This record gives sequence, C-alpha cells and structure tokens, in this order.
Amino acid sequence: MAHVVLQDLVKSYGSFKAVNHVSLTVNDGEFVALVGPSGCGKTTTLNLVAGLTPITSGDIIIGERVVNDLDPKDRDIAMVFQNYALYPQKSVYKNLAFPLQMRKLPRDEIDKKVKEAARVLDMTHLLERKPRELSGGQQQRVALGRALVRDPAVFLMDEPLSNLDAKLRVQMRSEIKRFHQDLKATIIYVTHDQLEAVTMADKMAVMNGGYLQQYDSPAQVFAHPVNMFVASFIGSPAMSLIPLEASMANGNTVLTGAEGWRLELSARNAQKVAKATTRKVVLGARHSTIKLHKSAVPGSVPAKAYTVEPTGDVTFVQAFLSGAIVNISVPPNIAVAPDEQIWLEFDQERMHLFDGETEMALKAN
Amino acid sequence: MSTIAQTAPRAQARRRMRVDGWRWAGRIFLVFMLLYTALPMIWMLITSIKSGFAATQFPPQWWPDEPTLASYQKLLDPQNSVGQDFLRFFWNSLFVSTVTTILSVIVAVPAAYAFSRFSFPGRNFLFFAVLLRNMFPAVIFLVPLFILMRAIGLINTHGSLILTYLTFGLPLAIWLLKGFYDNIPVQLEQAARIDGATRFQAFVMIVMPLSTPGIIATAIYSFIGAWNEYIYAYTFLSKNEQLTLPVGIQRFFSENTTDFPGLMAASFMMSVPVVVLFLVLQRYFVRALTEGAVKH
Repeated sequence: MAHVVLQDLVKSYGSFKAVNHVSLTVNDGEFVALVGPSGCGKTTTLNLVAGLTPITSGDIIIGERVVNDLDPKDRDIAMVFQNYALYPQKSVYKNLAFPLQMRKLPRDEIDKKVKEAARVLDMTHLLERKPRELSGGQQQRVALGRALVRDPAVFLMDEPLSNLDAKLRVQMRSEIKRFHQDLKATIIYVTHDQLEAVTMADKMAVMNGGYLQQYDSPAQVFAHPVNMFVASFIGSPAMSLIPLEASMANGNTVLTGAEGWRLELSARNAQKVAKATTRKVVLGARHSTIKLHKSAVPGSVPAKAYTVEPTGDVTFVQAFLSGAIVNISVPPNIAVAPDEQIWLEFDQERMHLFDGETEMALKAN
Repeated sequence: MSTIAQTAPRAQARRRMRVDGWRWAGRIFLVFMLLYTALPMIWMLITSIKSGFAATQFPPQWWPDEPTLASYQKLLDPQNSVGQDFLRFFWNSLFVSTVTTILSVIVAVPAAYAFSRFSFPGRNFLFFAVLLRNMFPAVIFLVPLFILMRAIGLINTHGSLILTYLTFGLPLAIWLLKGFYDNIPVQLEQAARIDGATRFQAFVMIVMPLSTPGIIATAIYSFIGAWNEYIYAYTFLSKNEQLTLPVGIQRFFSENTTDFPGLMAASFMMSVPVVVLFLVLQRYFVRALTEGAVKH
C-alpha cells in the first residue's frame, strides 16, 4: 500500500480545462471519494492517476515515485470500472489470472492467488463461467477480485456500483467498505452519488467544473461546506439556500426576505455577515435544522407549504421562501396541508451563511 | 362476456389466415429465388459430366446417358496442356487472392482500429475519403489505373492486380472492422493496460480475439472480390502464363468453343474455394455484418 499525491494537476483539451490545478494527498490506507456532478472532472482525474490519459501539467506521486510518464502497467495500481470491463472471451478464472500472467508469475502461484481471491469473494463455484453467464452483482465481484488478486499499491474505482440495482448497490457498498477495512487498502473512489461518498469514504474530495472545491472528512464537509456548491451537493434532501438582504436595525443585524419579513441574527452570525463583500447574503439550512410552526412564534418567518411528502418515519415539507424552495422535515404526526400558512424557525447555531457574490461560506473569524 | 368468448377465436382464425397468406407468398417467392439462383449452377454441374457431343444435343439430355468425369480428369492432369493451363490459372488466382486477403487484413485491422480509437486531425475527412471510392463504379478507374500501372511498370505483373484489388476491397473492410471496434468498450483495453499489458499487447490479446468475426468477414470479402474479378485482370495481364482463372477460362475456351463440358467443369472448380470458404465461415460473416453495423 502507498500514499498518493496530486500536485497542481492540470488536464486540458484545447482551451477547456477538464481538471484545473487539483492538489490533494491520499494517505496510506485511506479511502478517498472523488465526488461531483457529471462532467466535473472526477473521472478524468482518476484516469490521470491511472495513466490512461496523459497529464498536461503537474505531478502525480504514488508511493515514493513520480509516475507522470509511466505506463498504467508500471504504476502498481488496479482499477474497477463502471461497466466492470471483464474480458468477455475469458472465464472468471482467466480473468482473475490475467494480471498475474502479465506479470509472469509462476503458474502454481497464479493458481494459488486466484483461488484465494475467489475464496475471499465467495465465488469459487463461478470460476469456470464466462462473464456473460454471471449476474450484475457477480460480475461486480469478479471485477473486484481481478483488482485485489494482484495486491496493488492503490485501488482506483470508477463508479463501480452505478450499474447495480438499488438493493444490490447498498449490499455491495458495505462489502466494499468491509474490503477496505480488512485490506487497509488505499482506495480512490469516483462517484456522483454523494450518499456513497458520505457513507464509505474516510475523506471526500468534492469537485465541480474541474476544480477541487473541498477536501475533508464527510462529517466536516457536511457540517462546514466551504461554498454554496458543496452545501447544496452534499446531503439529501439538499440544503435549502435562501437569498436574503442584510441590513442594520436598532444596532442588530437583520436579514430581509423578498416578502418583506425580517430575521434577526445572533451575535455570532452577525459577525459572519459583517465579513460579506455585499449586502446580499444567502442563508443555508438543512431540513432537520428548521422548525415548522403552525402559528407565529418569536424569531420565525412566514411561508406557505407547497408540497408534502410523507415517507413513513419522517414527512418532508417543501415551502417557498424569498424565491427559493425550502425543505423541512417534520415528525409524521404533524399534519401539514399544501398551501397552508406555516412559520419557519431557523436554528441560529446550525445555519450557514454565504456571501451572495462570491458564494463562499462566511466565517465568524 | 359471452360475445367476446365467441368472437375471439373467429378473429384469431381470420388473423391466422391472413398471416398464412403472406407466409405462403413469402415461401413461393423464396422458392422462386432459390430456383433462379440454383438452376444455372445445377445445369453447370450436369453439363460438366456430359460428353462433348451430349452437351450440344437438342432437345437437351436432362440427365446425361453416360455421365463421365473425363473433363475433370483432363483439367486436373498436369501432363495434358489443357490441364497445365488450368492448374496454372488456378494457382495464379489463388496467389493473387491470398496475397490480397492477407494484405487487406494487415492494413484494414490497424486502420480501422485507429479510426475507431484515436482522434487525430482530419480523421473524419480521411474516413469519408476512404469510403468515397465506393461511390463510383469500378470500371471508371480502369483507364487511369492502367496508365498508372504502366508508369510504375507493373503491367503484366500480379502486383498490379493485388494493388487494384486492395484499393477496391479496403474501404468496406475498414468500415466493417471499425464498426466492430466501436462496439468493443474501450474500458477493456484500459483494464488490460492496467493489468500489465502494453497498448499493443492489449490490442493483440484482448481486442483482436473479440473482433475475430470481423476479421474473418473482411478476409472472406477480400478473397471473393479478388477471386472473381474479371475486367482488371483482363486489362492488366496479357501473358498467358500469368492469367487468373476468370480471364484464363474465357480465353482458353473461346478458342475451343465446342468444349462446353470442359468449360463447365472449370467453372465449377473455380467456384469450389469460394463456396467452401463461405460454408465454413458464414457464421462469422453474418455476425460481422449485423453486429458491426448495428450500434447496441
């Protein structure tokens, strides 16, 4: 196992920069998820690390070696692809043996390793089958087996679960997590599904438009998103982002909504707003930090319920507020009807404030 | 409820009758097509086992009174001058067609792979330029190619034919194979390269085996094209010992117009390699034409 360092990595196609000055370090044995919407550069980044795409500038270090110009085969990596990329003409056994054969291992050693991998992944009975005779989950497992049979320095995984049905995906998710814990493997995992990233990774690198937005543990990213993109991308349902106007009234900082209501801020939040470059401030709040009231209480703001979605143990209410959609979760015993007048109370401790111009999170100090 | 139960079988029967009508029309059409293509070949076979006299009788002998393999023996006898010529023409055809086939696979496989996998300046233009050749009938190029071949001194050599057949066969071969490579996920090669193969090894060990049907189809197509070609062989070659079968048979037997059984026996033997190739490999040919053409 080894650590991986990306230094100021750039990949451009003509004038378009698919990967834009990305720097990050994956420590030995760490599980890092590259996450972002499609076209954000996460798969390109992975292909750069794999050596499948040549880099434009920057450095990639695996272990102690700079691997910029090395062929994929010399980088000591293994990769699991979204479509598994199993060799269709080879049996499962030969698929697993191929990387070892290419490294010219003696035949009895290959046999031993293939059988060991098959045993670990519980697919000894499948060894003689062809990939097309396997179910999606089994193919996925063979792909995983082909990666681990070689004991590489780094595992690269490119959306390995997105071709599976929902139930199998959840099951394989915990299997891959278990696989990481058992092997103490260094894994770089690309996904567009923020839930996969949050549940599996030690650290997540949120990307957008070729830029690395934030690189931290899922808990940190969730609790302290650095900008509006990360705030809205991580978490489900998405964090509500409400554009407001900051002003002073009686020595206090207040935010005014498009409907004219006012929200007085705590001292700490007032400090944050003071840092803004403009009077436009965006209030971010996760569904669970907003309290829904049926009547006006001090500190609450008026809104109108738009849709109500009971899911069983929690009911999601969507409301319009200052031109934005706000998600609120309420216990199922609180009945809300669409178009009903409601009042929302924001938790001052857990609300996020963003600069309306730069879209960056505002910090108290 | 009851009306539905009563009318349903009748409607079904009517539908089946209509379907049957079409099916029978189709069958009759197919039988007609089969007779249309098979009868001349059957007549060729029957004539080839007649004596020279029986072949020209009228009304014809539908089945020869005295079937004989004399024509075949004559053609395959290296002591006989007719046999010597026929075997030489056969060898010439085999040589030209085989070399054309090998070269066209050697050129088409990497060319199609490059068109499918790499992006380079002028890629689309080049690809359609390759296909442009197929828009014109082959005869148009007869005189220009003759002048060209004379200029580079290839007239009266088999090389001139091989070059010409490659020009005509390669566009479709490349097109066919490109379809194949387009359908092979690029991740397979990427996986192989990560698993320890060089780019070339990934191509040879993973992609080539998957495109075998396409390569076989390409080979059959080139071989048949070269084997049957007449007009260029007729124009480019004038020395008797160089002629290929289509021209050789025509030249040789037009001097002895009466020997119809010999002509038919030679024609039959000429069709044997093509038919055998096709029967053995038709499975791949059909797969290539359907799989390569249709995107999944």
